[in-house]
Amino acid sequence: MFKELDPLLLSELRLAVMSILISVEEADFVYLKEKTNATAGNLSVQIDKLQQAGYIDVRKTFKGKRPQTICKVTFKGIHAFEKYIEALKSYINIQNH
Amino acid sequence: MHNQIDFIYINPYYYTQIQHIMEEMQDRQLNEKESLELISRMIRNTQERMEEGSGTMFLIWGYTTVIVTMAVWVMIMRTGDYVWQWLWFLLPVCAGIMTMIHYKKQGKKPHVSTYVDKVINYIWVVLGITGFLLSVVSILYRLPLLFIIVLIMGIGTTLTGLVINFRPLVIAGVLGMILSTVLILRMPYTMMLQIFSLIFLIMMVIPGHYLNYKSRKRNV
Repeated sequence: MFKELDPLLLSELRLAVMSILISVEEADFVYLKEKTNATAGNLSVQIDKLQQAGYIDVRKTFKGKRPQTICKVTFKGIHAFEKYIEALKSYINIQNH
Repeated sequence: MHNQIDFIYINPYYYTQIQHIMEEMQDRQLNEKESLELISRMIRNTQERMEEGSGTMFLIWGYTTVIVTMAVWVMIMRTGDYVWQWLWFLLPVCAGIMTMIHYKKQGKKPHVSTYVDKVINYIWVVLGITGFLLSVVSILYRLPLLFIIVLIMGIGTTLTGLVINFRPLVIAGVLGMILSTVLILRMPYTMMLQIFSLIFLIMMVIPGHYLNYKSRKRNV
């Protein structure tokens, strides 16, 4: 049977951000932008959404005089990501049979 | 009769809403296969990273230790006065300042911190505190301090090498730990100082340069 895919992780950019944050301790906005090749506007919208869902923690600080946004995945986010992978597996398995 | 000017007024709130909707539309939805590909690509992207200048910390602390040790040695040789031992406290001060400058310089790059970075940081913070406490205690009680310091730094170097999977660093660390035992032997203090700085050269400076060379080569 098909498991339902989390709509929050269906979007390309949100999934990219989550995949990066899953494999590191924390990363700032500039790093995420560099790795995903996204525009600043789009990235900040998607980060907001992930934060509102409680999937990531966002901390705003200053690095010298420049503002810095540091993102970190939460337990809820890790759980959602694992569930998403499980759901993906169920799709792939059915296709292979 | 009056002229009426027609204009469309867009409330700034709606304007940002429209912008959000447009950005949302830009964001593509993926199918299952694309999703998996994206996930593995992104994870690989973060793993393929060997920070350029990984060896710089070893160079800062290694060279500072060698230079300060040589300074203590020269002053004791010249004056015969062991009061020059206080020069040791230049070591954490100088290397500490250089470490802060190094971090500040790195702050200009995009920030990312992995679990490996975190583990290595904690290893050195804990070992650093241990080393500092033992140095303070050794003012009051006689301790084979040079032996203990080399052993602690050897442990740190070995663990760092194991965590980042860099064999030369593991070899240098283990070698340092083995060589540290030489410092328990009975010998003049000035000779001990020479051996001490020689061990630091082998254990930290050489692998530090090699690590920097490797990371530079990999990132080109």
